[in-house]
Formats: sequence, structure tokens, C-alpha cells
Amino acid sequence: MIAHPIETAAPPNSPMDKWEVQLRKGCLELAILASLWPGRLYGLEILRLLEQDSDLVITEGTVYPLLSRLKAEGLLHSEWVEADAGHPRKYYRLTAAGRRRVAAMGRIWSRFSASLNRLLSRVLKEEK
Amino acid sequence: MLQPKDPAQKIELYLRQVRSGLRDLPEPQVADILQELRSHILESAQTGGALSDTATDAALQALGRPQEVASLYVAENFMARAESSRTPWMVLRGVFFWAMLSLKGFVVLTLCLIGYMFGAAFFIAALAKPFNPQAVGLWMTSPDSYSLMLGMTDSPRHGRELLGWFLIPVGCSLGGGTILLTTHFGLWCIRRFQRARVTLGLEGSHE
Repeated sequence: MIAHPIETAAPPNSPMDKWEVQLRKGCLELAILASLWPGRLYGLEILRLLEQDSDLVITEGTVYPLLSRLKAEGLLHSEWVEADAGHPRKYYRLTAAGRRRVAAMGRIWSRFSASLNRLLSRVLKEEK
Repeated sequence: MLQPKDPAQKIELYLRQVRSGLRDLPEPQVADILQELRSHILESAQTGGALSDTATDAALQALGRPQEVASLYVAENFMARAESSRTPWMVLRGVFFWAMLSLKGFVVLTLCLIGYMFGAAFFIAALAKPFNPQAVGLWMTSPDSYSLMLGMTDSPRHGRELLGWFLIPVGCSLGGGTILLTTHFGLWCIRRFQRARVTLGLEGSHE
């Protein structure tokens, strides 16, 4: 099985593909923080949520180091919980600082995307 | 090397490879990382309570190459630490680690070392001035050339000293400024190149 780490719309290894990978990677931190807004989740749940709710399909191996940095920055808190599965799971939740950060990032994102969409609406209309 | 056949053996081999890439991190953190990855792999690979061979392969493949996962951890960990401490020592340590991996890192390490040596030279000149005011200074080595020399000289009579006692404040501020600028340069390079390397490394890992 050959898994492309990030399934982009552009053909692999083209300049557009690189741009799309960078764009998605840039948004990954926000997506992870946002996925934890309702409550605590463990790594695999975050991954499944990201695959389901957004098309941010990513190499699974990138999420864990990122979670560890977000924790080191004080945005996340983690705890080990014994599970029926036979192995404990590491759950993450947002700290107060994490909630403030994701709310601020969300405001910036929605302002930014709204203005970019206005700009792009002309491009996309004329292209049709 | 023998290829492990058993799914459990494959998982342990994978985790051993991750561990070997995590040498720079403290042991409790390494144990925690491996525990979390093991938990992830077991849960993704288990179908109906048993580990299947193909599901284990798929789970390990989806996680990415062990060396890449480990280097991501080290990079993210180092960036969080360099970001919070911002000391020349942490920056040099990080750049040194990076220089062992790539030519770009080596170039940045060389530039940082030159920057820090210049900074230290300014400071040392400023500190030495009160002890030997006749010999320490910024010397124009001969009247008809623009060659400058900073520091202690044995034959000050041919040259002209330019700064006098101003060497102390000028040396301290230039020294501090150079060290500060070098630290910022190092941090900027680390953020920029390390991120790019890590992303591209993972992009290439499944080709």
C-alpha cells in the first residue's frame, strides 16, 4: 500500500502540490486545537475526526510530535487513562491558554478567509 | 538483518527504531512517546481483538518512517525549548544538531559561530581596556591604509587609536548587539529550514 501523506488535489510533486502541502500543514495546528474544543480526545480520535470533518488528511506520524509541542507550550494538558482495549490511552484537552489561543486563531482565520474569498470570487466566476 | 514475521515483533522493531532517533530527549519523555505510539499502533492494527499482519503493516506505514517520526519529535521539542529560552547556548546546540544532518545546517552553524566570536571579541576588548589602556583599542594600523585592528597590540606607535575610552561603551553595545542579532538569526533559520526539512522529509518518506 502506498499512502501519500497528504492527499492533495494537485498532481504529486508539482509546485501546486508543495503549496497545498504547506497550506495544510500551516492549518494543522489550528485544526488540532479546534478538534479538542468540545472535550478531551486521544491521538487516534483526533486523527479520525480530522479525516472525517475536514479534508486535512495527514501523515499520522506528524500529529503526535505536534501534540507534544502544543503540550510543551502549555496549550494542552494530557493524562493517561486505562481503557478496556488492554492498553492505556493518552487523552488531551485544552488548557485555559489553549482555549484562548484557538478562539483568537479562529477569529483571525475567519476574517482572513472571508476577505480572500471576496477577492477570489471574481477569479472563480470568470474562470467558469 | 532478519525480517520479523510476527506483528508484535514488527511493532517492537519499529519502536526501537523510533527510540534510537530520540537520543537527545530525556528518558521519561522517551518512554511516554513510545507508550503513546504503541497504544496508537495497537489500536489501529487490532481487528476483532487480534493483531493481523496486514493491518499492522498498514498502521506502521500510515505512521511514517520511524526515523522521520523521531526527528519530528526532536525538532518540535527543540523548537519549543529554543523558543522559550532564547539563549545563545540553546541556539548553538540546536544548530549544531542540525549541522550534523545537513549542509545548510553547517553553513548556519558557521555563521552563528562567526557572529558569536565577533560579539565576544567586542566584549573582551571593552573589558580589557581598563587593565591596559595603552595597548587595547581600535587601531588604524598605518596612517595611509584603512586597515583596522581591534584588540591589544605590541607596537601602538605606528598606528592611531580611534576610540579611546569610548571603546568600553561601544564594545559592550556592539558585542551585545552582535550576540543578540546572531541569536535571532539562528532562531529564524532554525524555524524556517527545520520546518521545511521536516515537511519535505515526510513528503518524501512514502515515495
